[in-house]
Amino acid sequence: MGSEWEPVLKEVISEVLETMFFAVVEFEEGPPGDTPFDFESEIVLVNSDEKIVISLRVSEEFARMVTADFLGIGQDQAKNDDVEDTVKELTNMVGGLYHAKLNNAKWELGIPRVCKIDPGAPDDMDKNHAGLDFGFLGQPAGSAHLAHLPV
Amino acid sequence: MAYNVLIVDDSKSMRKVILKTLRVSGFQLGECLEASNGQEALDVLEGRWIDLILSDVHMPVMDGFGFIRSLKQKDIFKDTPVVFVTTEASEDRLNELMALGASGYIRKPFRPEEIGAFLGGIMGETDGFRMGTSVEGSDF
Repeated sequence: MGSEWEPVLKEVISEVLETMFFAVVEFEEGPPGDTPFDFESEIVLVNSDEKIVISLRVSEEFARMVTADFLGIGQDQAKNDDVEDTVKELTNMVGGLYHAKLNNAKWELGIPRVCKIDPGAPDDMDKNHAGLDFGFLGQPAGSAHLAHLPV
Repeated sequence: MAYNVLIVDDSKSMRKVILKTLRVSGFQLGECLEASNGQEALDVLEGRWIDLILSDVHMPVMDGFGFIRSLKQKDIFKDTPVVFVTTEASEDRLNELMALGASGYIRKPFRPEEIGAFLGGIMGETDGFRMGTSVEGSDF
């Protein structure tokens, strides 16, 4: 698939964030930087031969902002559970829309997971993951990663 | 007339968003029940009357397929409209849900006004009532 995924994933992330979270992000050129983020969420598309793993990492600030916009509450009202659940739902929609853009019935969408990133833990992101960074209002907001892996 | 609605989704945030969307869409909302998966939904429905069910597809414990199969076996719910609000993209799987008795589906991400208009059509067809679909002046 080469790097064909990149414009598709950019389009998908933009569409989901703009439609349901009222956030317009800008994508950075080049590979992801080393900005540490606070939440990681992942969803898997699988078929009989391989799987596509899509991971989103976002900053706490961005996660709280999209949670507040999503739920229609103030950022100070967003509980940690709300934030994690919203980041998970964001990833769910990104995975689903990416699936739709693949336009291939053989893929099945899994159930997303989310976790808070331990800043002291080593980065265990699979090196097969290609990625791209995105920002919001000039600040790093998150990164998206995608990998094709054998089942 | 106010409609009793059940929202089934493993995401609490999404349940809140759907509920809020219904409110700002002009939907005449009566009692609103929630469940986090198909099995919990079946438990919640025990001994209750519901006018409309909005359900996710991909959920732990019992997914949307298992839920609608079980639901439509119950005489009391066999005519209850079930609309799936889902990230499912496969036309085959969506058609399977329709064949199992779903009244329709809305793909996430969605715009609030799309839900209002869509459900207006669903409830209009089933109850002879067409709800307002305007979101003008809403604070969504």
